[in-house]
Amino acid sequence: MIVHRGKTIEEVIELLAKYKDSKIIAGGTDVILDIKDNKIFPEALIDISSIEELKGIELKGDFIEIGAGTTFTEIAEDEIFEKNLHGLKKACKLIGSPQIRNRGTVGGNIVNGSPAADSIPPLLCLESTLIFESLEGIRKVKLEDYLKSKYRIKEHELLTKIRFKNPEGLLNFIKLAIRKALAISRMSIATLIELDEEEKVKDIKVASGSLGRYPMRELEVEEFLLGTILGEYTVDEAVNILQNAMEKRLKGRPTLPYKKRAVKSLLKEALNQRIRSSRRVIS
Amino acid sequence: MIEIQLTVNGKDYTVNIEEDKRLLDVLREDLGFTGVKEGCSEGECGACTVIMDGKTVNSCMVMGFQANGSNIVTIEGLEKDGQLHPIQQAFIDIGAVQCGYCTPGMILSAKALLDKNPNPTKEEIREGISGNLCRCTGYSKIVKAVEKARGYEDES
Repeated sequence: MIVHRGKTIEEVIELLAKYKDSKIIAGGTDVILDIKDNKIFPEALIDISSIEELKGIELKGDFIEIGAGTTFTEIAEDEIFEKNLHGLKKACKLIGSPQIRNRGTVGGNIVNGSPAADSIPPLLCLESTLIFESLEGIRKVKLEDYLKSKYRIKEHELLTKIRFKNPEGLLNFIKLAIRKALAISRMSIATLIELDEEEKVKDIKVASGSLGRYPMRELEVEEFLLGTILGEYTVDEAVNILQNAMEKRLKGRPTLPYKKRAVKSLLKEALNQRIRSSRRVIS
Repeated sequence: MIEIQLTVNGKDYTVNIEEDKRLLDVLREDLGFTGVKEGCSEGECGACTVIMDGKTVNSCMVMGFQANGSNIVTIEGLEKDGQLHPIQQAFIDIGAVQCGYCTPGMILSAKALLDKNPNPTKEEIREGISGNLCRCTGYSKIVKAVEKARGYEDES
């Protein structure tokens, strides 16, 4: 195995073109396990963990760009995610352990493609775009489309940025796991909700993790809640809609009965937290 | 083989390592820092925790070549002039050590926490050591020891 420590994006995409059988390593929290377990045998291992231009969070007009090599700790500690984008901070803070968050990167979370990747549901709510670079140029793909497999990363590409519009609404994230630290999410829900002056839902995005083969938007739930006032009835009905959607998607899976029951409290909690955080609480 | 340079506990080293060697193995086998323990080898237990450029990492999840140019602190680097570090002393005073296998990693996580936040709450301490598993103590004495070490004057 040949190892390289890339210093610039340009150098890495040239290496990716040179070595057909290569693997990118950033935080290494997934890749090293695959190497150790003999699941992968790359000809070349290309380290991107010290490339400065892949790191950091930038506000560009109405848009926010996160470098793919930004660690979960760096996201969780950035002030930009203190207010309406708190849901992304929360998701990143709940990943693994301090040691894992210090190494693991948001780009790795996306490209590794686990259905339980915690940073993805909030980024889906934000309608994020992924930016890939290769010798052929730049390719932009909506995260939502990317997850539907046919737009997945190509061997000679490097994910460099995640970009989304700074939203008006409030982003939230809730996760269920067997314990707080070091546990992979059993399931997760992210919501992005904007209310109008009459407390009606003006804009809503709902995304789930581990409720299907990959994290996805829950469009039927969004459609139902749009224009309604969040309250006991609408929340219960939203839960029913999500449960029905899961029934179709996870039919025959042994975890379905458990997940159907558990998702109820998860979605309820996410929506109720939004009700509580709105200025005029509806009693 | 590939040559890497790194600083461990304030001293510079140049080592030739195999490409697929993990930082954990470089520290233990090539440099003799056996205070770095191998537990689960998959980032769950935290026994192999070291401080790399000011942040805790699981050294089983860092490739040796990725550590080129980095500054590492292991448990061996905490003692100064024969004096235990205040966190080490607090672990002994409170009785937070039983079998001792998790202790080096636990103390380094505590150090990284206290370096950043000298007066953490109990909850923040629990969060700070959440990546380190201990199967003996039940954690309460470990948390107490970190509470005791709060606010120490770090001269390093």
